[in-house]
Amino acid sequence: MTPLARWRQVALQEFLAGLRKPAYWILFGILMLMAWGFSEGSVTISTGESIAGGTRPHVTSIFNQSMIQTVAILGIGAWFLAIVAGMILPREAELRVEEVLNSTPLTPGEYVWGKFVGALGVFLAGWFLFLCVSAGFNHIVAPGGDADHIGPFMLGNYLFPTLLFGVPQILFFAGVPFFLGAWTRRPIVVFAFPVVVLLLTMTLLTLWSPSWLDPSVNRALMLADPSGFRWLNETFLKVDRGVEFYNTASLRPDAGFLISRVVFAVAGLAAVAAAQRSVARRLRTGASAFAFRLFRRRTRTSGPSTETGLPHPAAAVSTGQGLANLGMTVRLPGFWRAVRTVGNSEVRDLLVRPGMYLFVPLIIYQSVFNLTISVGPFDSQILLTPGAAATRQINTLALLVCVLLLFYTVESLHKERGRRLAEIFNSTPIGTGAMLFGKTLGNSLVAALILTAAVLATAGLMGYQQLFEDSPVGFSIVPFVAAWGAVLIPTFVFWTAFATALSCVFRSRYAAYGAGLGVIVYTVYRASFVEDLPWTANWIAWNALQWSDMGAFSLHGRTLMTNRLFYLSLVPPLVAVSVACFGRRDFDAAQFLHRLRPKPLFMGFLRLAPFLLLPVVLGSTLHFGGRAGYEGQRAEDAAEDYWRRNAATWTGFEMPSVFHVEMDLEFEPRLRSVEVSGAYTFFNHRDYAYDRIPVTAGQWDPIEWTLNGSEHEPEDRAGLFVFEPASPLNPGDSLTIGFSYELEYLKGTSKTAGGAGQFILSSGIVLGTFTPTFAPVPGYGESWGRPETPDSKEYADDFFEGETEPLFGWGGKPFTTRVRITAPEEYTANSVGRLTGEEVADGRRTVVWESDHPVGLVNVVAGKYAVREGEGTAIYYHPEHDYNIEEMSAALDAARKYYSEWFYPFPWELLKLSEFPGFATYAQGFPTNITFSEGIGFLAKSDPRSHVAFLVVAHEAAHQWWGNLLTPGRGPGGNILSEGMSHYATMLLHEQVHGERYRIEFAKRIEERYGDGRFVDSERPLVRTDGNRSGDGTVTYDKGGWVMWMLQQEMGREPLLAGLRVFIAKYNPDPDFPVIQDMLAVLRGFAPDTAAFDAFADQWFFDVVVPEYKLSGVTREQVGDEWIVRGTVENVGTGRMAVEIAAVAGERWSDDDEGDGGSAQSPEYRDARVWVELGGDESVPFEISVPFEPEQVVIDPDVLVLQLNRNAAVFEFEG
Amino acid sequence: MLEVNNLVKVYPGPVAALQGVSISVSKGMFGLLGPNGAGKTTLMRIVAGLLEPTSGTVRFDGEDVVEDPRRIRRKLGYLPQDFGFYPHLSGQAMLRFLLRLKGVEAPQGVDKLAAELLERVNLAYAAKRKVKGYSGGMRQRLGIAQALAGDPRIVIVDEPTAGLDPEERIRFYRLLAELAEDRTVLLSTHIVEDISVLCPRVAIMHDGRFVADTTPKEARSRLAGTIFEGAVDADGLAETTRRFQVTQAVLVEGHNRVRVHVPEGPPPERFAPVEPTLEDAYLLLARDGTSAADAE
Repeated sequence: MTPLARWRQVALQEFLAGLRKPAYWILFGILMLMAWGFSEGSVTISTGESIAGGTRPHVTSIFNQSMIQTVAILGIGAWFLAIVAGMILPREAELRVEEVLNSTPLTPGEYVWGKFVGALGVFLAGWFLFLCVSAGFNHIVAPGGDADHIGPFMLGNYLFPTLLFGVPQILFFAGVPFFLGAWTRRPIVVFAFPVVVLLLTMTLLTLWSPSWLDPSVNRALMLADPSGFRWLNETFLKVDRGVEFYNTASLRPDAGFLISRVVFAVAGLAAVAAAQRSVARRLRTGASAFAFRLFRRRTRTSGPSTETGLPHPAAAVSTGQGLANLGMTVRLPGFWRAVRTVGNSEVRDLLVRPGMYLFVPLIIYQSVFNLTISVGPFDSQILLTPGAAATRQINTLALLVCVLLLFYTVESLHKERGRRLAEIFNSTPIGTGAMLFGKTLGNSLVAALILTAAVLATAGLMGYQQLFEDSPVGFSIVPFVAAWGAVLIPTFVFWTAFATALSCVFRSRYAAYGAGLGVIVYTVYRASFVEDLPWTANWIAWNALQWSDMGAFSLHGRTLMTNRLFYLSLVPPLVAVSVACFGRRDFDAAQFLHRLRPKPLFMGFLRLAPFLLLPVVLGSTLHFGGRAGYEGQRAEDAAEDYWRRNAATWTGFEMPSVFHVEMDLEFEPRLRSVEVSGAYTFFNHRDYAYDRIPVTAGQWDPIEWTLNGSEHEPEDRAGLFVFEPASPLNPGDSLTIGFSYELEYLKGTSKTAGGAGQFILSSGIVLGTFTPTFAPVPGYGESWGRPETPDSKEYADDFFEGETEPLFGWGGKPFTTRVRITAPEEYTANSVGRLTGEEVADGRRTVVWESDHPVGLVNVVAGKYAVREGEGTAIYYHPEHDYNIEEMSAALDAARKYYSEWFYPFPWELLKLSEFPGFATYAQGFPTNITFSEGIGFLAKSDPRSHVAFLVVAHEAAHQWWGNLLTPGRGPGGNILSEGMSHYATMLLHEQVHGERYRIEFAKRIEERYGDGRFVDSERPLVRTDGNRSGDGTVTYDKGGWVMWMLQQEMGREPLLAGLRVFIAKYNPDPDFPVIQDMLAVLRGFAPDTAAFDAFADQWFFDVVVPEYKLSGVTREQVGDEWIVRGTVENVGTGRMAVEIAAVAGERWSDDDEGDGGSAQSPEYRDARVWVELGGDESVPFEISVPFEPEQVVIDPDVLVLQLNRNAAVFEFEG
Repeated sequence: MLEVNNLVKVYPGPVAALQGVSISVSKGMFGLLGPNGAGKTTLMRIVAGLLEPTSGTVRFDGEDVVEDPRRIRRKLGYLPQDFGFYPHLSGQAMLRFLLRLKGVEAPQGVDKLAAELLERVNLAYAAKRKVKGYSGGMRQRLGIAQALAGDPRIVIVDEPTAGLDPEERIRFYRLLAELAEDRTVLLSTHIVEDISVLCPRVAIMHDGRFVADTTPKEARSRLAGTIFEGAVDADGLAETTRRFQVTQAVLVEGHNRVRVHVPEGPPPERFAPVEPTLEDAYLLLARDGTSAADAE
């Protein structure tokens, strides 16, 4: 037999053996499912138009196939290859095959390469089938007749990604575990490889891409990513290039990336060569290098021992000693003694398992790493408080530890069988209950160890942040004990009991793994993706604990406790089932069938019944509580009924203005209740009479209504109360509708875990009047209770002509308010306007807030606050959250001062900002009464560089002007007058207070958000952006703010601000609510060059453009004392803009903080600039005379033109 | 007293491993002989409470073992045919663990008791060594130590001397014999010599049935005068095998030394009468269990 024939024989044998493995068929099944799923268009590049009928990205495009194949091989292939390739040599060593093979002519090379190629062939065969079936599904089956996501068949679109991304990955993921298996012969090391690579790849190499990441580091990470996904994402996918590009363009790898792919492929093959050497050495010396070294170390350290060695010759002679003289007696072990014995044994077993030392650190890494990457508004880092740190780790820890517990529990229960000790172990007299409990207790060491390590790691992280990052927050163990004790411990206890029961019932470790993993996957899918996991099914307590430093368990505390007790109460029946089914005695098939007859089954159930009583009671409480609660079926039915009964009649009904609001609120936060009485005075500002006035109220039975002071019974149309005054409400007339009722807000149990938008809780109160949460809302809410989201409304081009309804609020003119709030003495309650009365009596504090200038909305916020007063401002905050108070107060003062100067004088006496518990995560700028979730601003990791707390306050404070004093109209572009203008105001204020450097940083940050978040094909001009399409968020906020900044460059700062002042004054108050077109009409009058203004407006407001600049042919040449820099700049994007090009030397900004926060320009910095103007797809040469040696060429050095890929618009001279 | 009544065990297939076995065993050593697949291990596992029978009863000291296997576990010392241990534990730690599970105590403490038990099975020298480094014989001795520990009222040992060298076998016999003085010992083996040395009573199984329940002496005496031995060449062996019941044929120095069973009629030429052995009896019975049982 020739060497080639021997090699081929080995490869063929391994290939055929691989095909017979269940793992292969599982892989095959998964790949086929994936092929089907992908063909449905479920995984495509985020691009295209989000509306129905829009152009869709092709699943079959080369970019989509690259993305799919890269992720599929990384997510599935890495595991499979580790199993099939990595485990070959350890398995053969166990079977002692090598010794037999060593006696044949087979060489190590033939053996190793044959095995590797055979194993690789198995995967490649599966992959080839996947490609074929994918192509079949995509191009032949064309699912559902809806094939707009399927492009034309092109063989290269399937094969090129496999060659570029797949083959290097496959070789790397097969070769390295193969070597590790050959070298160490330890499965745990083999399995560790994909775990480590996946964690690293998924956390660091592929997805981690903060805006501040240095481009060279980013590039290095692209090349270091074995999957190649980072390169694909950063180069092509991150910035949306539009459907047309992805569907038709070709994918061209750059040289660096190609080299990286070759390196990974070669590394995989080199690992196989190393495996060959290891096997050869092993066959020659009897030990691999790895084993040999360990052996030598052990030999050195153990030394001679009298306890070891060969039997003494004398001992080999029968001593003739019997058993009688040993004095043995038997005292059957009691339950706890047996538990201790078994538990100790399990612990000893766990401690010698390498998995403990591998997976525990990995879980800790994953859990704590998640803490470090949590971000808040403006991608700001979050200040870690102990409570937040404990809560944010719960999901990760619960998920990963449960997977580990499943593994260890099942393995533990099958351990004796696997080690052939079962017959001896099972014939001992200890009880089955004690046996199972002892094992469970032993395995719980895993969870205890991980929790302890996680606490220590978090303490270390917080300590590090305190010491080296000037974090003001210290570590405390209390929240960990409270949060993890309440949530995680019951989860682990239940899960261990469940895994034990699965293992005992199925008596097959694989069935137990399958069922257990199935439960985990299903639970996380329902909880995380569908977000409808009810409390009864939420055994893992996913998102169950919403943390707030202001009152940890106040939102779902009672429900959470019931949920935890429910799952703990399931433990006894699970234990009973486990004990009954544990395979201590192999059952007889005939007897087993006998036991499945109805009578024995019923008797079995009767025996179990006492254990089931408590779970049934608790489960019913959760289930029916959820159905009857504020998110339950009853509430959903009531809301839908409201819509069904009123949509046809009341849609489009225009209300008279509210003229005055009077409200008296008696809060009892502990009971989540409020007694409400009040009245709305309506004024008919229209030119027609009303014979009916509708008001929407919640399910607050009974409500006592009055009309003009007299009792009244309005028509109740499922929550829409229709008042018919005795005589119609004529133009200029007014009427008053009064109401009183008592309500419990967030009544009963929530349907699922998660936060709440508004609430009355002991930890705080936050309520608004956008919807009827605590106060009636005038009119009919068109979207409330609607079962399906309607298609976005199409607006005519001139929709803004005439009177436009407001985007939010009650409509009509602003109104006056008087809100009287009573709450327990320790609460401070704020509402709109100024404080006109305060008294404390009988432990209750009553405050009266009256509007000193009309407002458009009312809200209430209350808590146990400390107060920081500024210049006409006040911040109400949780006393422990004073970390950013200085910065926030300064921002609020500056906002009040400068926005008043720039936009409109602030008409109210006091501007307040109040904190509320982080059960909701938003900030809202109600008139005079801004509300912030604790995670926003108060717990932002703000520092003199990021100014995050300043920025969020500046933005929300801007809504006093852009939202309240000027309420935008309903329709496309309306919200940009609120959010985009607030971003613009923030940029202005940031530059005013902190200098140009930080305005530039902020502008770059939101520019990058726009670049990353926009959907090219969905994006519409600002005047058409209505918030209904993908990417509209970043267009509204980030592009909106940016365009206003560019308009400021175009018009000049003072003309623009003067125009804006006139704009606000014109529409405040006015029943016609403005949109962008109204603003442009006003601003045009202030433009120094109306033609330029029109040109700017045409492309930035009425069209979608965004430049993307590239430099080419850049040279520098010294001519005398000067340097001449030449090059070409090209706009590969769209839009015509004048832009500066600068040749620069030195760092622009000094980090030496001399009271200016580092915003002063560094004296070493020099630049020379020229202006160029170019449109889309145009290029122009440039030449700059530079009186110093230039180091870089930068386009748009002052960040004045919104553009894509700004990082690429830089050229650096070598040397 | 161990009483087995009409025990039936059918494995899925179906394979009838036990076909209505009944036997009664009092104190002392009881041997079970039978070829592979005869049902010995199945019977022993059922008696040890590790396997549920299809039907029939097993009682030990009047208590129903099938109904509640816990009853026999308190009184049982069990050495299965195929077993292993936790590889990461030392021999002494492993034995200590099992002693604790069995509730075995001694005035000198469990630790010392474990050491002394290991000495009894000649494993003291390897007491601190991890079990994964034990040879097959060492592992077997550790198994013996745990089976004999405590005060089991019934000891079930399945092929206990497999892997033991002659010296260890003798040591084990001694320990087993000591135990059997005042308790029931059920010994299953292929090695007829073990039975003949140790067991005053022996049952022979074939195809899930008992084909004999006798004593070694009785089994031998039944064959008295019917066993003959002689040497034949290869052609002669074929002829002898055709005409007589051959119990053994061993090739020694180029000749086949053959033992034949001749219950009546003349023996082969040049064959001399010899003392029958238990092995002769077993082989004759095991070869054709049904006819042998009928013959009885």
